Amino acid sequence: MDPLILSFAVVNGVLLGGIYGGVALGLSLIFGVLRVVNFAHGSFLMLSLYIAFWCWSLLGLDPYLSVFVTVPAMFGLGYFVQSVIISPLIRRERALVVEPLSALLLTAGVFLVLDNLALMAFGPNVRAVQVDYYLPSPMLGPIPLNPQRLIGALAAVLVALGLSWWLRHSHMGRAIRATAQNRDAAALSGINVPFVYAVTFGIGCAVLGLFGSLIAPFMPISPSIGVAFGIKSFIVVVLGGLGSIPGCIVGGMVIGVFEAVASQHITATSAAIGSLGLFILILLVRPQGIMGRA
Amino acid sequence: MAKPSRNRIALLASTMLFGVLAAGPALAQSAVKIGCALPLSGGSATVGNQTRAGALAAAEQINAAGGIKALNGAKLEVVFGDTQSKADIGVTETERLVTRENVAALCGAFNSAVTFPATEVAERYKTPWVVVGSVKDEITERNFKYVFRINNKATYDAREQLDALDLLAKETGKKPKTIAMLYEGSDWGRSHAANVKRFAKDRGYDIVLDEAAPPNQVDFSNQLLKIRGARPDAVIVALYTPDHLLFSRQLMEQRLDLPFGIHSVGGGTEDPAFYKGLPQRAVDYVFVQEDWQIDKLQQTNDKTILAIAERTKEMLGYGMSAYAAQGASAMYVLADALERSGSTDREKLRDAIAASDIQSGPALITGYGRIKFDEQGQNTHAHGVISQNLNGQRRTIWPLENRGSETKPVWPVPAWSERKGS
Repeated sequence: MDPLILSFAVVNGVLLGGIYGGVALGLSLIFGVLRVVNFAHGSFLMLSLYIAFWCWSLLGLDPYLSVFVTVPAMFGLGYFVQSVIISPLIRRERALVVEPLSALLLTAGVFLVLDNLALMAFGPNVRAVQVDYYLPSPMLGPIPLNPQRLIGALAAVLVALGLSWWLRHSHMGRAIRATAQNRDAAALSGINVPFVYAVTFGIGCAVLGLFGSLIAPFMPISPSIGVAFGIKSFIVVVLGGLGSIPGCIVGGMVIGVFEAVASQHITATSAAIGSLGLFILILLVRPQGIMGRA
Repeated sequence: MAKPSRNRIALLASTMLFGVLAAGPALAQSAVKIGCALPLSGGSATVGNQTRAGALAAAEQINAAGGIKALNGAKLEVVFGDTQSKADIGVTETERLVTRENVAALCGAFNSAVTFPATEVAERYKTPWVVVGSVKDEITERNFKYVFRINNKATYDAREQLDALDLLAKETGKKPKTIAMLYEGSDWGRSHAANVKRFAKDRGYDIVLDEAAPPNQVDFSNQLLKIRGARPDAVIVALYTPDHLLFSRQLMEQRLDLPFGIHSVGGGTEDPAFYKGLPQRAVDYVFVQEDWQIDKLQQTNDKTILAIAERTKEMLGYGMSAYAAQGASAMYVLADALERSGSTDREKLRDAIAASDIQSGPALITGYGRIKFDEQGQNTHAHGVISQNLNGQRRTIWPLENRGSETKPVWPVPAWSERKGS
């Protein structure tokens, strides 16, 4: 195979994979702390895309500047969903871990409600942000890098590093990690567990808000856009290791490169099937994922 | 003798009564009911409502011009049934229109998946059905007697795309040799690709890439890279709006040069939302296979057609589409048949539709030269048009008869580096 085409594919895969990883960060964080598999993950991304779009189309706000709207708005929404919808479920649980099935069903309900509300409110029409400036493509040797995807991938790495550092070194971060390790012990040491949960959920959604703004400049937006990213996020998180922040980025890039290279040999459809096969294989052979702890 | 005579009187009375009942509508100028089963809600709601507006506008126009003259000026009354874009609902709505509303003829239902079973109901009730919008080949391949289709069937779409390539090649002497295909991987995309492949082989085009993509992609870099590697002269695309948008945008960003351009079979490129979501340079020179002659309104001076366009715009709030035109066309075809049958009897109306041969007038609003059905009920003169995006407008370039005198196709298309402002 032509080495130039191959290196093109690898570069595309790394950039797209980085974005996959960034989008999946929130899912991983929420699972790691709350043990809740958030089925509505894609829907939250869809909402942040719409917020970024409306900021651009109604207020004329550049999608990159709409970060200042999407991040707080999504944090608020996440905080609200956790404290009003999911928290009663956790309060009812006497056991150490929330029964994953009931939380899964609950978030699946949130996903259905959000997607259909969006369909009702915004209609099935596809919308797209159009910016009138032109970002130059930086070159990596002979390969032009798509600037918008490069920004997305770099942001994913930075957010992952920042989040890991913050979880390690800040008071709130330590409280979050303590709660993740043992909810009851954390509560006994004076940590306000429901508050930690709500903040964690809020942060997970805020990260999605950020990526909503970052991918809005190149992604057509429709009410069903969340599903595609939601499924990718699950694969990425399982591959990288559930709850592992760096694993998320690594998992995303592995999937991105795998699909990019494989689809040069077979149809992209079959490559996507391949990544689902990889997902099952990882679950069988190394259920903790690439970077996860057993 | 008393008995028979009483019988005779009863017979006479009932004959008179029936006579009055049968003649009643004509004498009283009562309406001729036409039932239209359309997706007025659900996934295809926008299309269904456009068809509805077209049908209503045409019926109003026919009524204002004196109704059906052969029926003493009886007015057309269009009764709608909402299929909700679903096959089972479409079937029950069809039953309701036939048995409760007692319509003389039916039309509908855009979604092939709905039209296919619903026309079976119409056939069973011996009620003529004029198909609007559905392209599935098999709809007019079942030896049905009561089903008529004015518009294209799917194989025509594929043939026309290659006809346009051939026409441009003949005009300029520059013929593309290799074609890549990128299509959505469900029913529509796959069957279109299979048809293209069949025609391409006969006409000496080489298919160098055959790539299906599942709907709702988040990225087309991989597929674009494959196209770059395969170096085709032209690409045939069948994608729905979101995917088509993403594909076109990434193609523009990557400045991928295709000497003989992108040939889209509609889907995304016929949706007004598509053009709102992209800068003009992303769609410049793209060829689109249209379901009606997109620049008809600029080229016609037929007052009835312009009036229909005006009225549908009033109802919908946006301009005419292929679907509004098809709705209007169906009403004019039925009105023409009613004039010739002089009766609302379904059997007679069916024979009149089967004998249709329309060569002028507003029934040809979609841009066809003629409407004449074969023994399967397919209008063999149906055709779409191929347009090219030139200076922000889609102008018809194929067939030659429909091409405006000022329209000059750009062939081959300029490389990205030669385009202004990019």
